[in-house]
Amino acid sequence: MNVLAKTLTGMALSIVLSSSALAAEKLKIGFIVPNPIGEVGWDHELDRGRQAVAEHFGDKAEIQAVDSVGEGPDSTRVMNKMAAQGADVIFLGSFGHMNDGLKLARRHPDIAVIHAGGYLQHDNFATYAVRHYEGAYLAGMAAGYATESGTIGIIAAFPLPEVVGIMNSYVLGAQSVNPNLGDVKVVWMNSWFDPAKNKASAESLVSQGADVIFSLFPGTPSAVAAAEEMGVYVTVTLSDNTRFAPTRHLAAIQVDFRPIYIAKVQEVMDGKFTGNDTFAGIKDDAVGVAGLSPDLADEQREAILAKQEEIRSGAFHPFQGPITDREGKVVVAAGTSLDDGAIKGMNFLVGGIDTTLPN
Amino acid sequence: MDAFVFVFGGAFMTATPLLLAALGELTVEKSGVLNLSVEGMMALAAAIAFMATYNTGSHLLGFAAGAVSAMILSVVFATLVLFFMANQVAAGLATGILGLGLSALLARSYEAFTLAPLSKLDVPLLSDIPILGPILFHQDLVVYLTIGIGVGLIAFFYRTRAGLILRVVGENPHIAHSLGFSVMKIRFRAILFGGFMAGLAGAYASTVLTPVWSQGMIVGRGWIAVALVVFGTWRPLRVMMGAYFFGAALLGELAVQSGGIAISSQLMTCMPYVLTIIVLAVVSRDAVRIKLNAPVSLGENYRPIG
Amino acid sequence: MMTPMPAWRMVPREQPAVKALAAVPLVTIGLTILCSVILFTALGSSPSVVLYNFFVDPFTSAYNIGELLIKASPLILIAQGLAIGFRARIWNIGAEGQLTIGAIAASLIPITWSRSESALILPAMILLGATAGLAWAGIAAFFRTRYNANEIIVTLMLNQIAFQLLYYLVTGPLRDPMGFNFPQSAPFPDAALYPPLFSGAGVRANLSVLITILVSLAAWILVSKSFSSFRLLVGGIAPNAARYAGFSGSRAIWISLLVGGAAAGLAGVGEIAGPIGKLQRILSPGYGFAAIIVAFLGGLHPLGIVMAGLFMAVIYIGSDSAMLAADIPTSAPVVFQGFILVFYLAAHVFVRYEFRRGSSLAPGRRT
Repeated sequence: MNVLAKTLTGMALSIVLSSSALAAEKLKIGFIVPNPIGEVGWDHELDRGRQAVAEHFGDKAEIQAVDSVGEGPDSTRVMNKMAAQGADVIFLGSFGHMNDGLKLARRHPDIAVIHAGGYLQHDNFATYAVRHYEGAYLAGMAAGYATESGTIGIIAAFPLPEVVGIMNSYVLGAQSVNPNLGDVKVVWMNSWFDPAKNKASAESLVSQGADVIFSLFPGTPSAVAAAEEMGVYVTVTLSDNTRFAPTRHLAAIQVDFRPIYIAKVQEVMDGKFTGNDTFAGIKDDAVGVAGLSPDLADEQREAILAKQEEIRSGAFHPFQGPITDREGKVVVAAGTSLDDGAIKGMNFLVGGIDTTLPN
Repeated sequence: MDAFVFVFGGAFMTATPLLLAALGELTVEKSGVLNLSVEGMMALAAAIAFMATYNTGSHLLGFAAGAVSAMILSVVFATLVLFFMANQVAAGLATGILGLGLSALLARSYEAFTLAPLSKLDVPLLSDIPILGPILFHQDLVVYLTIGIGVGLIAFFYRTRAGLILRVVGENPHIAHSLGFSVMKIRFRAILFGGFMAGLAGAYASTVLTPVWSQGMIVGRGWIAVALVVFGTWRPLRVMMGAYFFGAALLGELAVQSGGIAISSQLMTCMPYVLTIIVLAVVSRDAVRIKLNAPVSLGENYRPIG
Repeated sequence: MMTPMPAWRMVPREQPAVKALAAVPLVTIGLTILCSVILFTALGSSPSVVLYNFFVDPFTSAYNIGELLIKASPLILIAQGLAIGFRARIWNIGAEGQLTIGAIAASLIPITWSRSESALILPAMILLGATAGLAWAGIAAFFRTRYNANEIIVTLMLNQIAFQLLYYLVTGPLRDPMGFNFPQSAPFPDAALYPPLFSGAGVRANLSVLITILVSLAAWILVSKSFSSFRLLVGGIAPNAARYAGFSGSRAIWISLLVGGAAAGLAGVGEIAGPIGKLQRILSPGYGFAAIIVAFLGGLHPLGIVMAGLFMAVIYIGSDSAMLAADIPTSAPVVFQGFILVFYLAAHVFVRYEFRRGSSLAPGRRT
């Protein structure tokens, strides 16, 4: 009965969505991103997704975009205003938009809401995330090859599960190619955004002997630029940052939301949109390694790209056992690999990372 | 680069924007005016200085443009409190909001642009001294200039007539007025100087310290500057030491973390703030000594009669 | 040597001018419109669309009016508490931190009893939130009275410490065990949420608005009827005189900070038991600081604060609306707010002063 009801609602929803799309001819699509749009980083990549939608659908879509809509109860007004202006699809670009976005979706069953990074879904509230950790393994390999001191330093904002997952995969990648790797050092900025502190964190890690830096979701390229200044290699999430460290950019975990965005809008146009979850990775061209340094030897580069293909084909999983945590406890048994739920909620550090997580 | 040099040498750079702004605010407060728009002035100057340096390639022009923009904002504040007799706390906050808004608006197409860093100057011979050399004598020009301005202000306040008059205006504007000094003019100049210094501070933060433009990059440094003035009990030397202490505490937290010492990182992040309260309590214990330096008329508007 | 005699003189009024008081908003809005026409034309947006969205749109629907109330409520609540201290010249800049601590403390109840339907949950949260805000501000009062440490600095520093505590708790001990370790608590049960004030889809105004009204009334009675506010005033401004008269300056400090902290804590409860519905890493878009402006815009008077809080809320709601309707950059409304506040403060001079031409004798006396 319940299943039937759900299916019926889903069908009705599809009809509503497709008919409204037909009636309006142009699909009205709203994009909300949490910060100003820069040259690199999260909001930049989200905006590239928006541009791809505009290009791909041309006259069939009418686009409205707002940036710098942070999380918190105020973001709901922007969403509601978009809904009141007749939006058919709304893309929400911050995890912090989850609760207000879900309420919006419940009130407006005819709007397709597509939310980045959350874990709750509803009939017309879909979520998407990318497998940063897959690219992180590859960037970690590059770091493992490049370090001479055997010390890698990571700068991160807060110990969120996604961040911990990226950190773990990165370190596993580095360890896989460098048996002499010492403990990886970590600085938690404990600030959502502070360019000067980001740079100082990089300097602090270098002062402790790190010769490869990993700037993890910094929201600013200042640590990357600082690495160039100090002459140490740098790896970074989200975008190729070569322009900020022309000689010292080692590798970037490049994400690409364009295929996800285009697929989602197409689903709405075809009346096939449902409140599902997309977790896209290398296989879906949503993640990859980019900006590899020419300083890497040819065989090192080939090994990294070969590993990328292994992940794409499913032959390799960054979190395949055996993996032990800091205390030496086995967290992933040999012969198994972590499932998506465990990856999304990751709450342990693999051995070889010198920091602690709050419990 | 070792951790000790990172903390105690880096503290000069971290402290410089705080100190520039704090010395400006100190002068304003010494004249009896509380200007809480430091954060906004710094933000505006940071944006303008960044754009100027980015387009001209000259840090000097960046600093000049930043200083002028913050001075313009300080004129808005001065007009409100000196001419319109607006409450100083409210006027400072209002002007600050204007500055923050203009900062984000004007530089919105520069998001995540970067600049070449300012080169460090090595003092010949001295910078070769082990440990102390790289800490004290391997800094950029602005760091040295800022210390120079601090020393200059000490001389100004306690060695010159103009400094004495400024302090009298802050202590008791009625007496200053009856002695024939224009309270308005003196306060106006002090506010303008405060704007100039906050401008240099913002310019340093965006074109030297970071040097990347991001909206909202000042993240509370203007407020810390205001705090430093009180922390230093309105004395330039103590403000300078306070700024350095704060800079070292901020970097010390990062050094402890990257050194892998197992203390909760959030606890460490709190340390500079906790220490500030404790040190403030220690230096403020003696109420009489505080009263000697705190401008009595701080925050009160003065309207000349007749 | 005297300053040259001005042609116009500013003379303080004995009573605030009622006519001028009415003119203030008009002058403010006039000047703001002028400036914003220039600003928004330069940005390539239609000024009329922008202005409509700023000043008219917030009143056009039940939803928007609900938003107005839910936005004004914390501003007014905090400002009422702060104004008591500001009148006594005790500068509590830490309402943001007190709000945060109040919210954290109150959240412990619904997080601990996440399935409870007890009617006592909300009252307990209100009590605990207000007490925690009060206690947090009490730290500043302690350092001020015991060690003479300036309360501006202590409250500012306590803000940072409160934020770190919040980040620690939402990324660790208080996070939702079912929430994939995301930095937020489990959603509160309905019993822990303020009931809505109006029925209507999406209208978020809730009973916390009534609390704000009650607190405002109480503040008004305290100011106009009670002797204790006089003692507070004297104790803050002239501690020696107060001591001579038998009042204690440190009592004024304690009362000011504790009341301010309690009000901010209450506002924190209003957020987590209202529009947010859980504990999360960002609780307030700077209400603690905006309330300082509200307190002064309202002339530190309880009724003025209510008006000022509503006015600020109109600007906030209007900003969000204008951003979408006129496609202006997100930062433009902040500039607009800055203009409004600056002009308001400038225009307000006419309430307290009159401009007279001619010779100068004693102030306020005309020959």
